[in-house]
Formats: sequence, C-alpha cells, structure tokens
Amino acid sequence: MAVETAMKGARKARPRKTVPMIDWLTRWSFMMPAIVILLAVLAYPILYTLEISFSSLDLGSFTANEWVGWENYGDVLKDRGFWNAMKVTGIYLAWAMPIQMILGFGIAYLINAEWKGRGVVRALFLIPMVVAPVVAGGIWRMMLDPLWGLVNYLLGLLGLGNPDWLGNPTLAMATLVIIDTWRWTPFVVLIATAALMALPKDVFEAADIDGANWWTKLWSITVPLLVPIIAATFVVRWLGAVKMFDIALAATRGGPGDATNVINLYIYEQAFRSLRFAESAAMAVIVLVMTMMLTGLFLIGTRKLEDNY
Amino acid sequence: MTAATLPGYRKRKRVGRQVRIWAGVALCVLFLFPVFWMVLSSFKLPRDIFTTPPVLFFDPTLETYISYMQRADISRRMVNTVTVATGSGLLSIVAGAMAGYALARIRIKGAATLGVLILMSRGVPPIALAVPMFLVARKLGLTDKHITLILAYCTFLIPYVMWLMRGFFKGLPKELEEAALLDGCSRYGAFFKIIVPISLPGLLSTLIFSVILAWEELLFALVLTNRNASTIPVAIAGIAGDTVNGANWGALTAVGTLTVVPVVIFALLVQKWLIKGLAEGATKG
Repeated sequence: MAVETAMKGARKARPRKTVPMIDWLTRWSFMMPAIVILLAVLAYPILYTLEISFSSLDLGSFTANEWVGWENYGDVLKDRGFWNAMKVTGIYLAWAMPIQMILGFGIAYLINAEWKGRGVVRALFLIPMVVAPVVAGGIWRMMLDPLWGLVNYLLGLLGLGNPDWLGNPTLAMATLVIIDTWRWTPFVVLIATAALMALPKDVFEAADIDGANWWTKLWSITVPLLVPIIAATFVVRWLGAVKMFDIALAATRGGPGDATNVINLYIYEQAFRSLRFAESAAMAVIVLVMTMMLTGLFLIGTRKLEDNY
Repeated sequence: MTAATLPGYRKRKRVGRQVRIWAGVALCVLFLFPVFWMVLSSFKLPRDIFTTPPVLFFDPTLETYISYMQRADISRRMVNTVTVATGSGLLSIVAGAMAGYALARIRIKGAATLGVLILMSRGVPPIALAVPMFLVARKLGLTDKHITLILAYCTFLIPYVMWLMRGFFKGLPKELEEAALLDGCSRYGAFFKIIVPISLPGLLSTLIFSVILAWEELLFALVLTNRNASTIPVAIAGIAGDTVNGANWGALTAVGTLTVVPVVIFALLVQKWLIKGLAEGATKG
C-alpha cells in the first residue's frame, strides 16, 4: 500500500505522461526476455505445426507447399498405426498413473515414520528421479534380459519361470509401466512426504483420544486433508506422463510389433523415419488439443475436489 | 500424551513404527538397486557381465571406460551436453526468474493472462515443437548447433523456472522491496540488489534442477543435432537400441554411470531445496 501512495505522489510531482510510460515499460521489461524467447521457440513452432498440418510439404525445401484443407487429418484418422498408438498410450496411462500415485503416497507414509535415518532415506529416494529416462530404459533392459538379466535369474531361483519381458506384447507393456514407475514414483513420494509432514498433528491426537482406529483415521482425516495435494500431484504427473518417449525408445523401441508404440514415439517415427511431416504435424495437433482438453478437465476437477473438502 | 494411559495401544503403535521403518528402508534399497547394478556392471569386463548366475564379486576394471572414452564422440558429446545444459539453464533462470517475479509482485495489466498461457504450455507435447523446429532449423541452416538446442530447451525450462520462482517470490515478505522502492531504488535495483540475493538458494536449486532436465533431454537432441552438437542421451539411445549387434551393456553402463553420477551428486547437494521446491511447485500451481 505504501508503495502505491508513494507512486501516486511521484506521478503528481513529475510531468504527467512520461513517468507512467517509463514505469509501464519497466514493469513489462521483466516479462520481456521470457516472452521474446517463448514467442520464437514456442508460439511460432506451434503455429507452424498448425500450418503444416493443413498443407502438403515439399521435401526438397522442407517448407509448407499448398493448402490441402483437412486432407492430412483425414489420412491420420484412417491410419491404423495412429489409433494403435493412441490405444497403447491410453493403456500405459491407465496403468502407470494410478500405480504411481498409490505407491507414491504409500511409500511416503512408510518412510515418514520418525527415526534418525528418515532424512537420509528421503534424500536417497531422489536418486531414481534424476536418472536420465533414456538411461533408466537402458539399465532396465539389461536387467530384464531373458538370457543374462538379473531379474530372470532371481525369478528362476524362486521357480517363477523365465518371462520374456521385452518379447511378449503384454509383458512389454508391463515392462514399460514398471520402468516408468521406478523412475517416477520417487517424485510422487517426495511431494507426498512433504504433504504428510505438513498435516496438523493435533487432529490426529484428538482422534486418538476418541479411540478412532487407523482405518477411520486414514479415511476420515488423512485422505480428506490430502485431497488437494493428491489432485495437484496427479495433474503434474499427468503432464509428464503424456510426454512418454525416452523410456519407450530406449527400452522397447515401441515393440514387439507396435505393442508399446506410444503416441510420441509413433509421431517421431512417422516424421523422422518415414518423412511424413504433414501427417505427423496433424497428429501432433490432435494430441496437443486432446492433452489441453484433458488437462483443463483435470484442473476443473481439482478445483471441485478442493471446494468439496 | 493421553496415549500413555493405554499401554496396549502404545505397544501396537511402536511395533507399527518398526514395521514402517524397515519396510521403508527395504523399499529404498529396492529403488536404488538398478542404479547400484549399473555402476557395478560398468566396472566389469564383458565376460563378467554375460554370466549366469550374475556375479557380485569380480576384478573391477576401468577397461570399458577407457575403451569407450577413447572414441572421440563420447568426450565431444560430454562437452556438448555440459555446454547445452548450462547454457539453457542459465538463460532460463534469468528469463524465468524475472518473469516469475513480475507475475508474483509487479501488477501488470494482461501479464496474468500471459502467465497462464505460459504455464499452459506445459501441456504441449514436445513432439509438436520438434517437428516444426526441425523444419525451420533445416531451412535456416541452424541444425546441429548448440544455440538451437539451448533455445529448444528453453521451451520447457522457462515455464518451469517461472512457475517455481513465482511461488518462491510470493512467499517472501513484501516489506523488503517496498522499503527499497520508497528509498528511491528502481524496480531493477529492488530486484537485483534485494530480492535476488535473499533468493539465492532457491534460484540455485532451480538452476541445478533445470540443468539436470536439460542434461537428460532426448527428443530435441535427437531431432536437432546429428554430429557436432549431439549429446550423451542420444548416444545412450543408440547403444541401447542397437538391434543389429545387440546392445553393448558395458558401454551402456559406463556411459550411463558417467551421465548419472554427477547429476546425483548435485541433486544430493541441494536435496533440501529441491524437495521443498518440488513440493511447493506441485501445490502452488
């Protein structure tokens, strides 16, 4: 408040027009570097993708040629590979998201038990999260190798057979989910630990006095208090998960067949291997619109949930 | 504590705590194991990697590292990765922190809408940017240049930094710059002389995390570079995905270790800030 009165004073004291103008410019100049860079490398490419998606592309000069209307979109909708990639991405998300959320909050509850090593355990959980996804895909591929891999050796000791993790379509999807879960659950764990530590202790003490058991405490106190953070974590994780690319590329290459060919990998291959840039641009636009709409829905859902609790 | 009056309850609680501690430690070990196994395997000779049963004890050797580092492209890729990651990290921290400050503290008409737009860009699939960037870079002769990759990484780093730092700046007491502005400090003076110094830990951890994100990026590097500016993740994708000769596990683990170890050290150094930043970033959307 004090600033505003001071500023008003300043405005009166000096010539009227120049000072507000300069002030306006200084204010905006804080946003300028970000705006300029993002216009060039974010807004312009998106618009260009949109343009290419409605054009035929000249592969000689790599420029958009003539306007073809919805033709590329029509081709994409007739493309079986595209629908398969959408389905595969859906299956991956439907498994990975709930598993990571539940596991993340569960582990956070466990490692929040008070003892000397709590801080160390929490810090160590940071490690998988900073392993490059492409490295994660690679190491797991090595560990899951049917011939020399450690996992199948251990499974063999337990008499659990020799699953072909990367050769069987269903198992390959499971593999993708496992690797992604390994890499991303720690992220959920860290957010959840912070949230659990911030829970008000007195409410739980009051519940203890009333003789509430753990199940009641979990469902009537912990979960309702955590709802906003669960929802927020879900949205952040979702924004990362829809971008799934590196792990699939390193671990399965979309295979066997097209069993793990998630949409980003499919578009990448269509563009840079088959050089179908126009169609890939159309696919990218479809994915962009769908992601935005779903993100919007999740955000509205988050608001609603927060209001209810 | 009232629980003292209920000895049975108290005992159960203590047992529960023990179970939680041990389960937590076991899970931590389980999650760290793949990294441990990678580092361990990187010191093995090929004959120790391809064994049944897998060996835990062997004569450690640096042979894989030496033979792989001699191949020039790995050291050049290292230099490229460091250049691009620090370059894009620094550029993003400056642009992102200023914008984050503007959104948190300076009332500008229309800026809030722009801020929301920039935040929404987190939903843009990178492939929707990679395709046009490749085409434009190709046309302008900008492929395979460090600056192209640095700018490409800004697409996700600037919104990320802006988002985190906006939350951070909002948490600072307003009186700080109000006093400075009253004393005749310019807005830039208030920002650089007062806000930046006290935000240094937050800025530093955000910078480190941005560098890590850029360090690990694969898609843009794959699309926008081919030789001169190519990065380590591209090499790893190549090694892991070599379906012709079969993956070279030795090379994979050695290069993987070189990529992961520095990042882990940095992450652990700033872990307190990192965890706090992540938690706040997720909640103060």
